[in-house]
Formats: sequence, C-alpha cells, structure tokens
Amino acid sequence: MDVLTQGLQALIDGLLTGGVYAMIGAGLSLIFGVMRVINFGHGDFVVLGMYSAFFAASVLHMDPYLSIFLIAPLAYLFGYALHRLVLSRLLGASDQSTKLATLGLGLVVSNVLLLQFGTQPQTVDTSYSTSVWVLHVGTLEMRFSVIRVVSMLITAALIFGLNRMLFTSEVGRAIRATGQNRLGAELQGVDTRKIYAVIFGIGTVLAATAGVLLLPLLSATPTMGTIFTNKAFVITILGGLGSLPGAIIGGLILGVVESLGSSLFPLIPFLNNHFGSNYRDAYGLIIFLLVLLFKPEGLYGRTVKRV
Amino acid sequence: MSSGSPVAQSAGRKSSKWHPFLTLFLVVALLACYPFMVPVITQVSFLQGVNLNFGITTLILAGLALSWDILGGWTGQNSLGHAALVAVGAYSVTLLAEHGVAPWYGTLIGMGIAGLLAWGWGSMTFRLRGSYFTLSSIAVAEILRLFALNESWLTGGAEGKFMADLPKLFGTFDLFDRKVEFYVALSFVTLVLLFLHWLKTSRMGFYFRAVREDEDGAMALGVNPAKAKSTAFIWSAMFTALGGAIYALYLQALEPDNLMLVAFSIQIALLCIIGGRGTLYGGLVGAFLLGVPSEIFRAQLQEANLLVYGVLIVLVILFLPKGIMGALENGWYRKNHPLEKGGH
Repeated sequence: MDVLTQGLQALIDGLLTGGVYAMIGAGLSLIFGVMRVINFGHGDFVVLGMYSAFFAASVLHMDPYLSIFLIAPLAYLFGYALHRLVLSRLLGASDQSTKLATLGLGLVVSNVLLLQFGTQPQTVDTSYSTSVWVLHVGTLEMRFSVIRVVSMLITAALIFGLNRMLFTSEVGRAIRATGQNRLGAELQGVDTRKIYAVIFGIGTVLAATAGVLLLPLLSATPTMGTIFTNKAFVITILGGLGSLPGAIIGGLILGVVESLGSSLFPLIPFLNNHFGSNYRDAYGLIIFLLVLLFKPEGLYGRTVKRV
Repeated sequence: MSSGSPVAQSAGRKSSKWHPFLTLFLVVALLACYPFMVPVITQVSFLQGVNLNFGITTLILAGLALSWDILGGWTGQNSLGHAALVAVGAYSVTLLAEHGVAPWYGTLIGMGIAGLLAWGWGSMTFRLRGSYFTLSSIAVAEILRLFALNESWLTGGAEGKFMADLPKLFGTFDLFDRKVEFYVALSFVTLVLLFLHWLKTSRMGFYFRAVREDEDGAMALGVNPAKAKSTAFIWSAMFTALGGAIYALYLQALEPDNLMLVAFSIQIALLCIIGGRGTLYGGLVGAFLLGVPSEIFRAQLQEANLLVYGVLIVLVILFLPKGIMGALENGWYRKNHPLEKGGH
C-alpha cells in the first residue's frame, strides 16, 4: 500500500472510531454543560456498558447491538439513582466535592467489575466482526469495517435524537434553562434537582451505549475506564466544555489524530522505531495539553476560564 | 466568623502549653516501636497481613500522601499525576545504581529531576485553574507512562528493571534488610512531617493557604498565585521522588504498569483526602486507616483493593467533607470553644 491509500484508510477508520468517541464526549459535555461538574467516573461507566453487553452476549445470548435496548434504560436508571442517592446531597458543597464523589463512584464501579469478571480481557465475537465493505475509487481501494459504520450510524441517531429532545420537548427546555441559569429556572417552576438527575442519567446512557458499541471493536478490561475518561476530557476540551456539537467535532478530531498518528509515523524513517501505534493514546493527550495551554476555552467553545 | 482574633490568641496560648513538636515526637516514637510489635500483632489471625512489609508500604504511602498534601491540601491544586513523580525517583535510583552510583546520590539526582520536571510542568499548567490543572496532571502523567512503557532502551519497557546490588548505608546497614527499609521509610515520613510543621507557621505556608482560599484575594494582597503554586509543586515533587526512591529499594523491581498507573496517583491523592487535606497528620492517618482494612480483606478483594478507597471517599465526601483529621480537629476545637458555633 502506498502512503496515499494508507493515509486515506487511516482517515476513514479515524472518522468512524471518532463517532463513538464523540458519544463518550457528548455525555461528559452534557453533564458539564448543565451541572458544571466534571464526571471523573465517566470512563468507568463506558466500561460498565462494555461489560453489560458482554454479560448480555455470553449469558443471555443477545446480539451486542440489540442489547442496547436493554442496557440503555438500565443505564438511565443507574445514573438517575446515583445522582439522587449521592450527588444531589452535594449540591451546596464545592464542586471539588462533587468531582471527588464521581471519582469515588467510578472507582467503585471499576473495582466491582474487577471482582466480578477478573482481569483477563473479555470480548464478544459476532458473525460480522471482521466483515468489511470495500469501495473502489479509481485505483484506490477503501475499506469500511461494517461494525464501525453501524456504530457511527447509531451514534449519529442517538445524538440527533438527543438534540431534538433538547430543542423541541418541554424537558429539553427545562434542561437548557437549568444549564443557563439554575436560579432562574427554579423561579420558573423547574425542579432543578430532578433535571440534574435526568441529565446524569442521560450522560450515563451515552457512556454505556458507547461502551456497547466499542465492545466488538476492543476487548474489555475493568481498569480501562481511565483511558476513556481521558479521551472524554480530550474530546470535550477540544470542542469546548459543555458544547454538544463541539463534542462531535472533538470526537472526530481525536479519532483521526490517533489513527493518522499511529499509521503515518511508522512510515517516516528515523522516527519509525519510536512513534507508532504504541503511542496511540499519547497523541490525543499531547493535543489536549496544547489546546489547554493555548486555547483553554476549546476550539469552538465560549470563554470559560474558570471551571 | 466574628471572632478572628480570639482564635489566633488561643492558638498562640495552646502552642506554648503543648509544643507541636511533642505530638510529632510521640507519633514518630510510637511508629518506631512498630517492628517490635509485629510479632504480637500477627498473632491475631485476621491481622496476619499486618507485618513488617505492611508497615514499610504503609509508611511509604503515608509519606507520599503527605507530600501530595503540600500541593493538594495547602494550595488546593488536586494533582492526579503524582505516580509519575514517584516513578522519576524510583527509576533514577535504579538506573543510576546500574552504573554504580550509590543510592543516596541517585536519590538526590532523582529529587532534582523531579523538581525540574515540576517546575516545567507547573509553569505550563498553573495558568489554568481548578479542574483544568487536575486534567492536565493526568495527561502529563499518562504521557510519561507511555514513554516509560515504550522506550525500553532507557526504562526496560514493560518488563521493567531490577535493582542492582547496592553499597551499604554508612557502611553498616544493608538497604535490602526490611528493618533498615522500615526505618528509612520512617525517616522519610518524619522529614515530610517536619516540613509540614515548618510550613504551618512560615510565610510560604500562609501564601499557600491564601491561594487555596481565594486566589483573587491573595493576588490583591500581593501574593503571586502562580509562583506559590509552582513552589508548592516543586517541594511536593521532590519529596514524592524521595518516597519513590525508597519505594524502589523496597520493590526491587520496577514496572510502568504498576508504578505509573493513574490508579496509583488516585490512591495517593485519596489517602490524603480521606485522612484530611491541609491537616498535618491527614496523610498518615489516611494511610493506616485505609491500609489495615485493605490488608485484612486482601484475600477477598485481590486486585480490587481500590474498592475500599472508592466507598470510603464517597462516604467521607458526604459526611466528613474535611476528612477524618479535619473532622477531629473541628470537634476538638468546638469542645474547647463552646461559645462559638461552626468551628474553624
């Protein structure tokens, strides 16, 4: 394969993976946008989604994509309950307390998974795991992995649905009002505590669904949550904290950067022994640091210097 | 609170009656007896894991938590990347020992590297506030972990490095002897505690706390917040690297996937937060309070030992927001000042 084909292929893979990343970022960004709290357990909720899909596939013999219909409502209840039982008690406290509480909840989730499933990587095999659609353009041959395309479509549908909900329904109006001005929303009769719980539930659904979509692509280990939390931070910082379209763009950028970085660096002589797919997770983090240093409000966000 | 001056007065009176270093001396003396108590403690069946090795690791973790406190508790900058600084100290000693450099010089070099790293890291990230610093600390530590994992020419990669033979400390003490290691770890904890005692009354300590409480207010009074945070980070990093070097002596084998995980950074931070941030003994109390149950349930929990941390941090945040030592201090203060409400 020549450089051009390889680069284009990496671009396609990156965009498709970036779609799933976008969903992880969207959940974190939505929670931040309304509650002004960074959920440090977000990545662990993604892993919880992966293990739920694994459980559904291995015990209930469900197709991972069908199990979304079972897992998403459960994830909503889980997130809603977590907020009602733990986080809502911290509404008056400093945002550091809420941050640490989400960190603790994430630790509990990942360690319970560790107790239940052990450290060995788990994955599901579907009949279509390795199938690809091939597209010929002139002499170029592009491969589209079926599961990545399906994941991308499901992500697009979910984010589109979420956006419609936010901008056309009464709950969506209440959510946006709470995000803009909590006191003002309360004066208009919005139960903001309930809205917070709803938003935390929706954020958990997005995380868990992303986990389900990732399971056929990656094998799950209970401790990989921090990687996803990191990726979610990168995405939301790139797109601007609290912005939903920003999260989509951030997710796509991260996917492309990781994919291009790990497939193009090995082609450069002198560097090929040092940078490659080993550093896959580092490329996003380096971009993250650069954005934090030079444009902390994100590429598309409004200026929020203070979190 | 309307009574700022009586607080200061009573604190002054108190310190003349009960010298703060007396507490420190008693705590260290009690800990120094630990190796002699081990045969008695391990008689109890469920305390069998609470042996000398447990004492060493707990003391090292306590020292690391106390070092984290300099930045996290006193200036309010929550770092979740301190494992990288532990690794800097540990790798410096191990790699230099391979070339015949004595561990005490290796430790000093490691502390220097960690201080320089913290200086650069801090001057890049302290323009950012609040959660942004925490996020960037995770990112920097993760990049360093990936570096250690992939640059095997330097660090041995995923297989790690083994400690070379070391010369004896002062010509008599074998650094691989567990008892010697225990007292080395105890000296480390004592050193950090002495530093914190000094910090409590020094001008620098007041700068740190001013920045923690109100960054804009501190700036208005002529404190440079970025400089205060950076100073705190450099001290914190140097002590953390010292702890890392001692940890390397204890472990004798280094692997990036144990030493440099975010989970380890979180562990260090949570020990201090559960014990009580910004209190003198918070890290020490946290390390022992979390260490003993983790050891007792080791068989049941296996690799999920952070479960205890996760449950406890949620409970502490909900019910004792200042940590265990913070709550004790508050209670003690209220008992002695019954007319004031709210504590300090």
